Amino acid sequence: MNTSDKVLIIGSGVAGMDAALMLSKAGKKVILVEKLALTGGKTIKNEETYPNLDCSTCLVAPIQQEILQDSNIELLTLSTVEKVDGYEGNFNVTINKVARYINAEACLGCHMCYDPCPVVIKNEWEENLIDRKAVYVPCTGALPNVPRVQAEHCLKLNGQDESCSKCVDACMFAAFDFSQKDEKVDVEVSGIIVATGYELLDVAEIEELGYGKFKGVYTSLEFERLFASNGPTEGALTLRGSDVSPETIAIIHCVGRDKTGYCSSVCCMSSSKHAHFIKHKLPDVKIYNIYSDLCLADKTYQKFNDKVSKESSEFIFQTDRNKMKITETGDKLSVSYVNKEEKEDSLTVDMVVLASALVPPKNIEELTNILDIERDEFGFIAVEPHKIGSVETSRAGIFVAGCAEGPKDIQSSVLQAEAAVAGILSFPVE
Amino acid sequence: MTEKIGIYLCECGPNIASKIDLDRLAVDLSKLDDYKGKELIIKKHKLLCSVAGKQFLEEEINDNKLTHMVCAACSPRDHDSTFINVCKKTQLNPYLYTIVNIREQVAWVIPEMEEATDKALKYVHAGMNRVLYQTPLEEKQLDSNPDVLIIGGGMAGMEAAISTASKDRMVYLVEKSDKLGGHASSLFGLLPVQGENLSALQRKIAEVKKNRFIKIFTNAEVERIVGFMGNFEVLLNAKGNDGILELITGAVVVATGYDLFDPNKLENINYTAEDNVFNALELEEMINEKKKVELRSGKEVSSVTLVHCVGRNEVGYCSKICCNYNFKISNYLQKQGIKKITHLVRDICAPAKTSQKFQNKVIENGAKVIYVDSVNINGEKLTYKNRKGEQVNLNSDMIVLASSTIPNKSTQEISKLINLDLDEAGFFQEAHMKINPVQTNIDGVFAVGSAHGPGSIVDAIVQAKAAGGKILTQLIPGQKIVPEVKVSEVLEAYCTGCQTCLQVCKYDSIYFDEDKGISVVNEAICRGCGNCIGSCPSGSIRSKHFTNPQLYQEVKEALR
Repeated sequence: MNTSDKVLIIGSGVAGMDAALMLSKAGKKVILVEKLALTGGKTIKNEETYPNLDCSTCLVAPIQQEILQDSNIELLTLSTVEKVDGYEGNFNVTINKVARYINAEACLGCHMCYDPCPVVIKNEWEENLIDRKAVYVPCTGALPNVPRVQAEHCLKLNGQDESCSKCVDACMFAAFDFSQKDEKVDVEVSGIIVATGYELLDVAEIEELGYGKFKGVYTSLEFERLFASNGPTEGALTLRGSDVSPETIAIIHCVGRDKTGYCSSVCCMSSSKHAHFIKHKLPDVKIYNIYSDLCLADKTYQKFNDKVSKESSEFIFQTDRNKMKITETGDKLSVSYVNKEEKEDSLTVDMVVLASALVPPKNIEELTNILDIERDEFGFIAVEPHKIGSVETSRAGIFVAGCAEGPKDIQSSVLQAEAAVAGILSFPVE
Repeated sequence: MTEKIGIYLCECGPNIASKIDLDRLAVDLSKLDDYKGKELIIKKHKLLCSVAGKQFLEEEINDNKLTHMVCAACSPRDHDSTFINVCKKTQLNPYLYTIVNIREQVAWVIPEMEEATDKALKYVHAGMNRVLYQTPLEEKQLDSNPDVLIIGGGMAGMEAAISTASKDRMVYLVEKSDKLGGHASSLFGLLPVQGENLSALQRKIAEVKKNRFIKIFTNAEVERIVGFMGNFEVLLNAKGNDGILELITGAVVVATGYDLFDPNKLENINYTAEDNVFNALELEEMINEKKKVELRSGKEVSSVTLVHCVGRNEVGYCSKICCNYNFKISNYLQKQGIKKITHLVRDICAPAKTSQKFQNKVIENGAKVIYVDSVNINGEKLTYKNRKGEQVNLNSDMIVLASSTIPNKSTQEISKLINLDLDEAGFFQEAHMKINPVQTNIDGVFAVGSAHGPGSIVDAIVQAKAAGGKILTQLIPGQKIVPEVKVSEVLEAYCTGCQTCLQVCKYDSIYFDEDKGISVVNEAICRGCGNCIGSCPSGSIRSKHFTNPQLYQEVKEALR
């Protein structure tokens, strides 16, 4: 038996990072592969996390720092897994690492290079609520605090203006290195943990809700960023394209639930949290939470929700969530729904927040094909069906943790990560 | 030996250098009256945390034979550990170094350079004062035992045993009753897609029994646990079989399960043992034993009402599993040919991705779901108030109550035994609800399964494996453990023996020495939180790295 003491972890959200730090403590070398330029996953998009309203930076930044400083962990950002051969104990993995064009050792993260960059594009990490440059960090506080140059948008790299060197000129540390190339990294690992997270259902698919058509309609993640102090408005709750704050807000639970076929388990609590946020920031705003079944599946969640429904928001029970319809008249939105009397009812509001269902990321099919592991009927990564509570995938030596396996909260993601670590370590190494 | 203090000012690129006049700061520091006669080495550097910066510091310490070092840079959160690691490579004890935060606390918040430089001068001066009063501390290495004690032989406990037992790690699985399996053994089936029957449980019991690295004690209870991670002394009362046993283990997993809320405690629910009102677990047991559902008289059942969320308002939380198992029962009843099935729900809770599909199937097969605000049961008479506010009578042959999950009776006892914190509801409290959910307030002690909070068997097993992951990464056979260095110590001469500190210690790290009549800190357990220091009326406890003189010297300059 010739096994490596290395482990590959795909995804650097809370689940991936927790597993990486634990394995490092056990003396394993960890290759932590992250598709984006920063670690932290979806958790860091939140200003605060329910139910105890921990600030998510306070929760996650120490872990992110530890990842960067741990000599057993090699973090490969802007990287994706391209090929996996071999078997449990002996996987040969090829990773595609996109060039950052900035030498991380030299860069201080002073941000002086962004302003001069002439390219302006939407910041997709900020849910397209703000613009960014071709050289950028996705958000303030991103870790590693090193910008990247995005080759397809950079004038110098995409050939539109090879003489452009505005960012280079602005850098006091000579950190730019345009000779960097995308590279293939080959590693041998004994086991793999997949922790690639989730996406939100594209709610524009549900035409009745008017997302994308009416500017007052937001997804839950857009709202998170709007509320975030490091977000596009630095936390000011203002309506899209204006500096006007809404006076009435409707938060809609279970959006897309019947399309996906499952309860996403986190949306009731995050919707409740959003109501709390709004009331805290704008005490005079009238808030409605329109729900069908409240999912408060943890020992601490009901207390939180009870407090919110008492202090912050009017909770409205709707009897048929598929009859929800949103229309726009002038600056106002009208939310029509079926009330508890089973009659049509409606509300007029300035802003609607859609608690969209959690779905597998778009690239999950490609990734599961590369890893040669099975997906379940919903498209999430399947675990061994005959082993209760398993975190093993259909291929021996490959484990899954967090929302890649199905929608779940931070705690449940961390639990699966820790369980996957037990799985990795139970494999004997010679 | 004369002191030789190295003071290094980090420019942090433009972050500090553009806001603080570091050259003036260096000159002012060199002229401090109270440091006349002391040797100061003051230098600035572009970026101390960079590879070149760390190399520079290492050479400075070695070449100048520094006795103390002050780094004026960023928040300790960012780079305290970076500079501690530099010290560790040299002769300088890392506890004779300190970081002064002139970035977040000065450069980033004071716009005027003059003012910022003055403030930075005070802060660095304060750091110099402090560092001179610091004392070298040495890290200790302690032997650790990798073995595991597991309390509770249900699904969670058994899974924790399987996850941790190996040729260099013995597991002691202690079960109070006479057999393994816990509550799961009274269920007629596990929830959908977790295997339709109980073969999973039987397989697990067989797996535990045949594992030669798991020693099972049934009819056994833990009587005493003292110690710390890597070294818990356990006194076990294995009645009858092995008698009283003493064990040493490195970790403890508590998996003591749950009980059900007693519905008769509710004002709106009254019934007797003769009534055809059952709690869900009783019904599970009936199906398990008789392979059918019948009334107390033995007669056939033609209609059943399942009441969800019984006791939820009283306990203050949703028990997470009841909706699912009520639909599981419903599904069973439908297979028995019982057509009239009604669920009285407050909200349907379906947090697992497969739940909704299963529930929908049961509803499509004819089970009726009614959303209610309240339910009254008197004997076999049931009325409910629906969402429209109407009071409705509902007659059925049988009423099934989904009672809330509450902490097991032994939870209290165990918590007293090891000083574990309980949450408001009486379950074991996590070290951190979100990012450290199976760890308790005591290092090396983990809580899993329903002892930790209501949850499904899937949840219990994932938690048990998670505890396995924690133990496998924290207690590595043959590896020593390094306890916290910045701990509390009791100054014997001043301690009056009042024992207030024992009450406030969250980690059970202080014990009372009866002979000397004083409190003693067990340094292996102490985490340096400082609770005891604040509580001590005679001022006889101090933290080794936060002594009063250290803090006084620092604060007096910073506030000058």
